[in-house]
Amino acid sequence: MPLKLLKCDVTIPEREKHVYIKEPGEDTTQYLPISNAATIPGTLSERGCSYCGAKLVIGGVLKDTIQMIHGPVGCAYDTWHTKRYPSDNDNFQLKYVWSTNLKEKHIVFGGEKQLKQSIIEAFQEMPDIKRMFIYTTCATALIGDDPKAVAKAVEKELGDVDIFVVECPGFAGVSQSKGHHVLNMGWINEKVGTLEPTITSPYTINFIGDYNIQGDSQVLEKYFHKMGIQIIAHFTGNASYDDLRGMHRAQLNVVNCARSAGYIANELKKRYGIPRLDIDSWGFEYCQDALRKVGAFFGLEDKAEEVIAEEVAKYKEQMEWYRAGLKGKKVCIWTGGPRLWHWTKALEDDLGMTVVAMSSKFGHQEDFEKVIARGNEGTIYIDDANELEFFEVLEMVKPDLVLTGPRVGDLVKKLHLPYINGHAYHNGPYMGFEGSVNMARDMYNAIYSPLMKLAAIDVREKAALEVGV
Amino acid sequence: MSDKVEQLTKFIQEKCLWQFLSRTWDREEAISGVIKMIETLQTGGQPVIETPIDKCHYADAKVLLTDINKAFSWFGELKADQLGEVLHGAEARLKQITITGSLNGELNHQLY
Repeated sequence: MPLKLLKCDVTIPEREKHVYIKEPGEDTTQYLPISNAATIPGTLSERGCSYCGAKLVIGGVLKDTIQMIHGPVGCAYDTWHTKRYPSDNDNFQLKYVWSTNLKEKHIVFGGEKQLKQSIIEAFQEMPDIKRMFIYTTCATALIGDDPKAVAKAVEKELGDVDIFVVECPGFAGVSQSKGHHVLNMGWINEKVGTLEPTITSPYTINFIGDYNIQGDSQVLEKYFHKMGIQIIAHFTGNASYDDLRGMHRAQLNVVNCARSAGYIANELKKRYGIPRLDIDSWGFEYCQDALRKVGAFFGLEDKAEEVIAEEVAKYKEQMEWYRAGLKGKKVCIWTGGPRLWHWTKALEDDLGMTVVAMSSKFGHQEDFEKVIARGNEGTIYIDDANELEFFEVLEMVKPDLVLTGPRVGDLVKKLHLPYINGHAYHNGPYMGFEGSVNMARDMYNAIYSPLMKLAAIDVREKAALEVGV
Repeated sequence: MSDKVEQLTKFIQEKCLWQFLSRTWDREEAISGVIKMIETLQTGGQPVIETPIDKCHYADAKVLLTDINKAFSWFGELKADQLGEVLHGAEARLKQITITGSLNGELNHQLY
């Protein structure tokens, strides 16, 4: 079947190029949805802005860094606390939010003085913290503030601080994806290679595109450490600012989220000759493949097999129990981009579920190539889906569960369908062996909970029936 | 033999991320590199590992080869010339799907 115009899109026919239903025998040379393109006026997109992609997804994860958002306070608040990435230093990055709190007068007369004052105040209030990210936002980019000049002046004045500026206002790109790109390229250009890491193992990696959602990075780190591998930098789960300055010294880049962090892996290969090994960190079977590949790279096959044997022994029985309950259940994956291709085969192979629809907010065509190659025939693939499309697809596929974010999740709940938070998780971590079990448990609980059915009942009618009125 | 090429191509398409790297030159390097390693390993040869990139192809190939042998009982029964035909057939199909026939508009952008 060619690209599909949904009924709700009759008035915005351009949307046809963003929706695809896979037919037998088709591949991505025949049909590939348009993606990473500007949202069509009239479609109620669920995307985030470019600044959000830099701050909320990547920079904000760092555990020892002040995140100074140069703009109105809303830009800071709305990218704080909505994604749960803990750290091993008492969650510094989740406890605080920083903003230059721009007002109308700053827009008229300029915000650089306010920025400088805010930077100095933040460092003074938190004397143990010596690292900072500064983000421009729509307002401060439009008035032409120069945060790099301000940062340079403060670095000179204070002497012992290091500041990285991300110049990616919300309007810079079509989605959060632009923010990933700008942060990746800025970091490799300005910071990688400025600090030499301490090497403690003959086997070193960067783990790229893990964001420690509810402890994901720490699960994978445990496996790598058992294999004797040193992680020079996580990009950026539970990472410190200075870890990331030493990325040039790793022997291998192990890449999980290729969408948000493939850029820095590519550049590390181009500039420093460090190869890029893409893995799937989610999924019970996938995780075994991932550890075996890393083991084969370093000649640590035996160590990899030891870790796999230990973890499989611990968690296989639980996976099998959940598989029995989840087999045949229909699921939609409506997340950002990479989880589509990481999860679709994992849910099918590990748990026997059927993925019936997938939608990506900010994936590029590269992501759709992976998604469609891994996805089923008959499955609906959508780029930048809008609210009405979600409702129409739910009617078409009638899923048992939707994996999505809180925004779309609330739409789904109104239809009394269970949803699991695919971005920040319900009760993660979801990566690794134990993560696969956690994810299976959350999906099982969501599907079998009576809550959604009860929510659909009007208790007054029920009470009236019981008293025979 | 074309049937076997298609089976193998579909298997690799579903399983492997290296064929979908960001740019044409990355995909060419990965597809050729991994397929070459698979051929060497399956025929009992000694893989040539001179660079970190070779090591990466070796790691991907080693794990994939185990999976291929598990999935297709016929794979281990192929003679050397048949093996070459199937592997190079799959290599050509993968390059056609992910490079020459790809509709991905970013594939040839000179920057990442």
